[in-house]
Amino acid sequence: MSTTSDLSVNETLPDSTASIEEEHASTSEIDQTHRSSTQYSFTPTAENSKTSTKPDAAKKDDEDDEDKRDDSMFVCNICLDIAKDSVITFCGHLYCWPCINCWLETKRPQLCPVCKAAISRNQVIPLYGRNSNSQQDPRSKKIPPRPQGQRTEPDNNQGFQGFQNFGDGGFHLSFGIGAFPFGFFASSFNSFNFNDIRPRNGQQPGSPQYEEDQFLSKVFLWVAMIFFCWLILA
Amino acid sequence: MTSPSERRLRKEFLELIKNPIPGVIIDGEKIEKNINEWNVTIIGAEGTIYQGETFELQFLFNDKYPFDSPSVVFIGKNIPEHSHIYSNGHICLSILSQDWTPALSVGAVCLSIRSMLSSATKKERPPDDLIYTKTCSKNPKKTKWFFHDDNV
Ligand SMILES: [Zn+2]
Ligand SMILES: [Zn+2]
Repeated sequence: MSTTSDLSVNETLPDSTASIEEEHASTSEIDQTHRSSTQYSFTPTAENSKTSTKPDAAKKDDEDDEDKRDDSMFVCNICLDIAKDSVITFCGHLYCWPCINCWLETKRPQLCPVCKAAISRNQVIPLYGRNSNSQQDPRSKKIPPRPQGQRTEPDNNQGFQGFQNFGDGGFHLSFGIGAFPFGFFASSFNSFNFNDIRPRNGQQPGSPQYEEDQFLSKVFLWVAMIFFCWLILA
Repeated sequence: MTSPSERRLRKEFLELIKNPIPGVIIDGEKIEKNINEWNVTIIGAEGTIYQGETFELQFLFNDKYPFDSPSVVFIGKNIPEHSHIYSNGHICLSILSQDWTPALSVGAVCLSIRSMLSSATKKERPPDDLIYTKTCSKNPKKTKWFFHDDNV
């Protein structure tokens, strides 16, 4: 059969590679826009604007137009709405997490819909704006939760070094025996003592997995306590 | 509640009304009646072998759009004579099958088809037109296309 594989049209998309700080700064604005636009209406609004066919002559006299252009930077490349639970690929393309997740599950190999760069679940960065409170996100959807941002703790060299190590997992090692329950004991011990309730391993507070984990830690804490009592009494 | 596919199609529709693509005319009235079926008129570009001709494209969308590609065929009496367009209207274009991505759109497909027409220098049917049109399914998406780059 014959062919035309080289004809795919790449839309000109808003330059989403602009500095992430800039995006952080204006995401709270987006949240608001999104709230007011969740209801579909037939009137053309800001989020309906795609830049692909826009005339390049900038109309500077029209402030409204300026606003629309700004907003279109945050339009999901799949649903064409302002991105919700937004994530950005390493190649700089913005999507809603549900949208890109659906595409990742649809097709192999996993490619960025815009530029066809290889992407994967672990190669997207979530964007957190000022008011995007992850607690109130509806994570109960049947899709995997949006991947967590990766956070590296700064090197902290002042004082209490030993204690910090202890809190950060040294505890696991110091026992050496019965690693399984003690591992859990240690991690729950950490959170109990140091109020360290950061979600671990990319789990969201409130997700079923997280709750199960919490429950398990508590069970093992009690098992370990009983074991200790038994050791002391015996 | 409109489904996500319809929601997205409405957005594309509004965008094409607001910023029409030159040489591409959409039948807005029909789309308003059924958003999952679009008829699009393509006007042969000036200075090409299709200058002055008009062709009609039919887009059919399912509820998996935009994750699933639309079915796109030429309909009506005038099917462009082109080495990648079969006489039954089926189009051999990679973005309509394996190279489809949800970032593409009706507009992008129209542009691509238009540029495919514009780059042709000779009016001819694909070499396997007779066999293909006799054996193919009605739905072009059921065809397993083999794309090899022959630069047309
Ligand atoms: Zn989206
Ligand atoms: Zn990309």
